[in-house]
Amino acid sequence: MKIEIQDITFTYGSHKILDNITFRISSGKFVGVIGPNGSGKTTFLKVLSRILRPTAGCVTLGEQLLEQFSQKELARTMAVVSQDTNSGYQFTVEDVVLMGRAPYLGRFQSESIADYEIVRQALEVTGCSHLKDRYITELSGGERQRVMIARALAQQPKVLLLDEPTSHLDIGYQQEILDLVKRLSTTEGITVVAVLHDLNLAAYYCHELVLVQQGKILACGLPTEVVTAENIEKVYGTRVLVSPHPVFGTPQVSLLPGMYRQSKTQQLDHIHIIAGGGSGGELMRDLCDSGYYVTAGVLSIGDSDWEAARALNLPVISEAPFSSVSSTRHQEHLKMLQKAQAVVLAEIPLGHGNLLNLEAALQAAAAGIKVYVLEEKPEQNRDFTGGEGQKLLRQVKEQGILITEKAQLYRALAEQLRLNSSLDDLSKETNSASSG
Amino acid sequence: MNRKNKFLLYSLLLSVLVLSVVLATAIGAVAIPPGETFRIILARLTGLFTVADIPTSTQSIIWNLRFPRVLLGLLIGASLALAGVSFQGLLRNPLADPFTIGVSSGAAVGATVAILLRQVYQFNFPQMVPLFAFVGAFLAMFFVYNLAKIGGQVPVVTLLLAGVVVSSFLSAVISLLMVFAGENMQGIFFWLSGGLIMRSWTEIWFVLPYLLIGSVILYTYARDLNVLLMGEEAALTLGVNVERTKKILLVTASLVTAAAVSVSGMIGFVGLIIPHAVRIVTGPDHRTLLPASALVGASFLIWADVVARTVMAPKEIPVGIITAFVGAPFFIYLLRKKKSEIRL
Repeated sequence: MKIEIQDITFTYGSHKILDNITFRISSGKFVGVIGPNGSGKTTFLKVLSRILRPTAGCVTLGEQLLEQFSQKELARTMAVVSQDTNSGYQFTVEDVVLMGRAPYLGRFQSESIADYEIVRQALEVTGCSHLKDRYITELSGGERQRVMIARALAQQPKVLLLDEPTSHLDIGYQQEILDLVKRLSTTEGITVVAVLHDLNLAAYYCHELVLVQQGKILACGLPTEVVTAENIEKVYGTRVLVSPHPVFGTPQVSLLPGMYRQSKTQQLDHIHIIAGGGSGGELMRDLCDSGYYVTAGVLSIGDSDWEAARALNLPVISEAPFSSVSSTRHQEHLKMLQKAQAVVLAEIPLGHGNLLNLEAALQAAAAGIKVYVLEEKPEQNRDFTGGEGQKLLRQVKEQGILITEKAQLYRALAEQLRLNSSLDDLSKETNSASSG
Repeated sequence: MNRKNKFLLYSLLLSVLVLSVVLATAIGAVAIPPGETFRIILARLTGLFTVADIPTSTQSIIWNLRFPRVLLGLLIGASLALAGVSFQGLLRNPLADPFTIGVSSGAAVGATVAILLRQVYQFNFPQMVPLFAFVGAFLAMFFVYNLAKIGGQVPVVTLLLAGVVVSSFLSAVISLLMVFAGENMQGIFFWLSGGLIMRSWTEIWFVLPYLLIGSVILYTYARDLNVLLMGEEAALTLGVNVERTKKILLVTASLVTAAAVSVSGMIGFVGLIIPHAVRIVTGPDHRTLLPASALVGASFLIWADVVARTVMAPKEIPVGIITAFVGAPFFIYLLRKKKSEIRL
């Protein structure tokens, strides 16, 4: 059954929760509604299910206006699975699913064999047959959610509305429930509208997505059109990486935490990371998350550390792929190092191409910058230069501070930078004391 | 509960009720054997045979004094238990009872006014106290309902709050009236404590229609009550016209309560504990819970009244005191023993 939503506005007091929403859902489609907390998703679903009446606008189900349905007629057309399904009453699972037949029964009529058969099928489709005689109160969250979907199916609806059906479930149940819902839309032709929290699940399962922000539709259409880094940043205020699903190509969102902090103008402690060959990605992310201003160098373009630095939007000195660090890049690197409060030498593989990076670390140490040498796997031979690299590394270790695990590194950095700032404060104070 | 268990349950509860009626009628100052009692009741009820071998004085004691009183206990107990189940389900609150939304306080004010009028101003007409009480109850219900109404809807929380506020206000009114009453206070006190003393067939004909019609209406809404337990929004999506259903149930349960309270005074605890006790056995399905509670409530009040009139005979204790004395410990026992099962 198709649904047409025309200029829906919903105001609560003076607050506009839905603002002129218009769109069309064609029959048998699985449509996901996404958006940040408080964007009006749930309100939208409640207007669709007629729990709330819109302030303006109208909804058409099939050929009939939503408001023209009688309550029972509506319940025979549309079923709703809400977010909070935990009612404390000791009904058996079968009793609860039988309630789905209530819209088909007259006041003096009791359930017929046909009704029990429909309930049996609904339990079977949702994989709840074995729960039939259990109390609804003693089920796990995932089981209860499936029972609620079974109750909705017992209503034999043409439209199914779901409000965050998987929000409290683990990944196994999430998949199970959404697989089930998708199957219902594709094989039974039920039109499904679901509010979903998880962007990846939404993009993966839904035929179409609607992205809502502050009661307005920001984007709608195919998942690839809606889930873009640009849209997500606009709506959620966080930068993400959108990449195609490795197998099916649907858009998948990866978090890039800490990034937005980089854009802030406040003075951050500057830490420079010398990395390469995948040794520095985690370091960069952790230090970004901790709120430092992080730079990296010299990295080969295409190296996984280079990719990581780019994704995190870090200033990087980069060199062409598969070539040695040139002296121009080395000079730039040294300039960048001078501004850092601390330098971290990651556990890089040593080759002739990147010995200049060790050189740079040595020079930084000579200039009085603290150099931390991370070595978590000392037994591993990572010298591919026939001894030269090993020798340089030993020198850096002598000049700098050897660290054997990341946690220790983070603590040492925190300590050093705290000390720095208190020394700064002290000198400021003595300055003002002597001048005053 | 499956069909077979339901049948067993109803047979058991009905037998207990019939037995209670006969035994309770047999017990009293003049001892009359239960067999004779049963024959007198059966002969009078059916009119199929006569009991000429039993002295007419005995017949008169049974038929004019004891049996109406026992029957009234049955009706009041059933009414209060039914109303209790309905209010607990409707308000989705385990503490709700027939008195929660102020119906009984309204009845009490009405009764108090009537007693004062009669004793202080000698203004009197037959059945004045129950009529005043009924009008009071009706006015209180009307007032609470309109107080709780917000834009055509009656939210459960507002209803509870309005009921509690109006109840305590009316209690203050009663206290004030009792101050005015002075030495006439005892009549009011006895009415407030609830009792079946000096009641006759008149009261039965007063209560019976409300209970009969009320129980039919409540039972036809049993499925809606079940669906309402899933929450009002869920009930809407399952095809229940929530606001209309609430209105009908509220008015019906209130009228059943009002009729019962007007003739018996304030008999507490029946409407609170009977539903909980029965729910432990039947589960929350109102299609079983409503009739089963009515049967249990009826038997319970019959026995409470037997205790009230025999334990300090010839003096009578108000039956409301007995129900509280039995009800409160039983409720605490339920709470402690079956902690997990005290829910709706």
